[in-house]
Amino acid sequence: MTVHDIAARIKSRFIGLKEPAGYSFHNSIAGFALESRRPGDILIYAKYWLLIWGSILKFGGRLLLKKGPVGTIRVLVNYSWLFPLLRITQFMSRISHGRKGAYLESTCLVTHAMVVGLLQTLEKAIYDPEHLLVQSYMLPTEIGRAMGLNVWFLELLGIPLPFVKHDYMDKYIDEAENLGINPDACSSPKSVMGMASKGKLPKSSVVVGTNLPCEAGAGVYSYIQQKWGVPVYRLDVPTKFYEERADKLFVEDLKGMIAFLEKHTPGRMEWDRLRDICTARNRMMELELELWDMMRARPAPLAAEAVFLSHLFHFYWLPGDPLGVRLFEKLVNLAKENLRTKTPAVENERHRAVVWNPPFPHYTDLVNILERRYGITCLMDSMSYHHHPFIDTSTPETMLRDLGNIIMQGPMVRHTRGPVENFTDDIFRAYKQFDLDMIIVANHMSCKNSHSAIGILREKCRKESIPLLVVDYDLMDARIVSQDNMLQQVDHFMENVMKAQRIGH
Amino acid sequence: MKKPTGIVGEFYDLLESPQNSLVELAASQGRIPVAYSCSFVPEPLLMADRLFPLRLHAPGVAGTEIADNYMSLYICSYTRSILEFAFDDRYDLVQGWVCVPSCAHMQRLFDNLRYLKNPAFTHTIDVPQKATPHTTAWLAEELAILRDRITEHFGVDMSDASLRKAMNEWNEFVREIKAVGDLRKKENPPLTGAEFHAMLMAALVSPKDLILPLIRKFREEVEHRPGTGNHRARLMVVGGHLQDPEFIRVIESQGGIVVADRFCTGSIAEMMPVDVNGSDPVMALAEHTFRKTLCPRMMEDFDRRLNMIIDTVREYRVDGVVLEVIKFCDHWGLEAVPLVEALRKEGIPVLRLEREYRLSSEGQLSTRVQAFLESMGK
Repeated sequence: MTVHDIAARIKSRFIGLKEPAGYSFHNSIAGFALESRRPGDILIYAKYWLLIWGSILKFGGRLLLKKGPVGTIRVLVNYSWLFPLLRITQFMSRISHGRKGAYLESTCLVTHAMVVGLLQTLEKAIYDPEHLLVQSYMLPTEIGRAMGLNVWFLELLGIPLPFVKHDYMDKYIDEAENLGINPDACSSPKSVMGMASKGKLPKSSVVVGTNLPCEAGAGVYSYIQQKWGVPVYRLDVPTKFYEERADKLFVEDLKGMIAFLEKHTPGRMEWDRLRDICTARNRMMELELELWDMMRARPAPLAAEAVFLSHLFHFYWLPGDPLGVRLFEKLVNLAKENLRTKTPAVENERHRAVVWNPPFPHYTDLVNILERRYGITCLMDSMSYHHHPFIDTSTPETMLRDLGNIIMQGPMVRHTRGPVENFTDDIFRAYKQFDLDMIIVANHMSCKNSHSAIGILREKCRKESIPLLVVDYDLMDARIVSQDNMLQQVDHFMENVMKAQRIGH
Repeated sequence: MKKPTGIVGEFYDLLESPQNSLVELAASQGRIPVAYSCSFVPEPLLMADRLFPLRLHAPGVAGTEIADNYMSLYICSYTRSILEFAFDDRYDLVQGWVCVPSCAHMQRLFDNLRYLKNPAFTHTIDVPQKATPHTTAWLAEELAILRDRITEHFGVDMSDASLRKAMNEWNEFVREIKAVGDLRKKENPPLTGAEFHAMLMAALVSPKDLILPLIRKFREEVEHRPGTGNHRARLMVVGGHLQDPEFIRVIESQGGIVVADRFCTGSIAEMMPVDVNGSDPVMALAEHTFRKTLCPRMMEDFDRRLNMIIDTVREYRVDGVVLEVIKFCDHWGLEAVPLVEALRKEGIPVLRLEREYRLSSEGQLSTRVQAFLESMGK
């Protein structure tokens, strides 16, 4: 190899670094400052950037202290997905473009709360594996936590990892397909299967699964049972969950789950602790409903991730946790501030939309792009839109009944079970409640349930003259439908159906 | 393929139309065909009084353009084919539709059917996904609700006595099917898997009492037949809904013989007698439904399903298992991963095939089966 060759190689390496370096700069505090040029917003962004990195460094430091260098390396090897999570501030930057004031703060706030929640739970999983309970994300964590267990969702990492690195799950999806799973199955269970196969998931001595939200999601628990060799309890949500007799059936099932956990784990049911968690959850829900109520205003004071991420991480995973209560209190205050000053979340709010199905995990920028390019405010999504009851905390029986209802009638559960009206009517209900003027369906290609309901939804929308944008994509696999293609679908719809002009990039 | 003659030819004739001559005959006599599409629907319940169950199939379906529009291309072709036929009024004699939302595809098939055709009588049975005393009681309640709705809508006798009579008829039917099926345990079986499946499918899409004489005649005929000859291997087919006996014929065209069938429209486990001696026939039907149906939707039954296959392999001296998975079926797609691994651990060779509802790519299928037989050293 000549000196010339070496020089050429070094040069090409530097050229190759240009793009990621530019990207990193663009998504850094300096990049944000250059784009925003508003001192107040720069301060908000910098504050949360520092808070997030503070939490990460605290986690790293504690890990080193408690586990020592060898233990730390072992954790980092086993949970190698921690490295891409270091890009979390880049994710925050991407979803913050063009946002200002209270709306910007709400975006940064939910990102920070997500990081804190994730690291807190991960610490418990690492330092106290005996009390770890791996369960389905379709089940509330209140019961496990009341039993003194640390709950980790089997499917959890499928959400934040594509947020921070859009193609991160590809290798696990490929691994699952190599194991023999049908390639047309949902990429969420595929990535779970792939991660379990590679030994990348926190592992507990028992697992609680369910028949939700779909066949693939439920089926993955057979693989986990075989792979991990641990007992699995499966909760069975009836299809006719809206009937009163379903309450009784499901409460019996929940009691069966508690007995199972008491038999196989050190956890013991503390009804008073459950009451405290449920009371705090009720408070969170009060705040969330207050927030939703404010968002009905035109223009909306807050939108998008402030709604989606706050619900996704704090109602599914940490309901009733003090962190969640504080988060919702802050979100409500931010919305109030915008309402008081008549500041819209999205400047030039021209359209108001609901995003049905989980909103684009591997292309989280899309919602932000919709705001800037067409003035579309995304106010609600199917994962957040619930009609939960407040939990009656008077007796263990009432708590189990209401928690049962929260599971059975929860978002996604009622959309994927029972008659198609559970799916379509809920969309129209959200449409009216939030005074919307278009519906966006995030049409996850391998979701058989919503795919086979789109025909009916399309005709119902036509009848009501409601514009319906169906964006074909895959939940976690950008190789199925590329991000460019997704954006093109949006552009074609906005130009041809909505006759809208672009107002930005 | 040359069409079979004799009784098997008659079975094939009955499979040519979604409503065959026996269905037409029964309907002309004032009897009531009630359609269903999933094994979780307890057939004996639909055999009471003037009712008869009709398993939905779409023979010769050429395309599913309308169904694709409503259900999309990413849905199992069985449900799309049924919707297409329903839209074309190919089930015009059917007076009632009973659905079990055993998967998203089945649920949405009936949603789209209700939306597009709005039949006078549809009913959904909510079958739980695990069998416990509580869920069995729930299923019994579900069946009682169906019984009451049928009584009210069709004015038929669904009393306990009437149900017991229907259950006895079912048991008699099952005995005949089992008698034929057991002949496949012989060293040199007197009938092929395709012939057996033609008989069974014809029975599922016809009124049981009208086809029973034909089945008896067939049993008498095959009992006196010599064996079908030497075969390279004895095979078992496992999977979901399989309608077309031609699929089995193509498998057998490579020199193997299918001696056991553990799929939704097969006989093993499915063709099980129901207990008529209990105090509550509806409860007996609920228990029967859970016992006989080995679908991957039953979340806690993986070991039972696996053991049933292993036991059958031993009982029928099976050399290899063909696992057929209809495309887009997540139940079987996910189940296949641990199932194949567990069977191979037991030393049982497995061939996994993905297929569409309609028989297609025969050449590819033959090649894969041939390679499978060779891999077993047969």
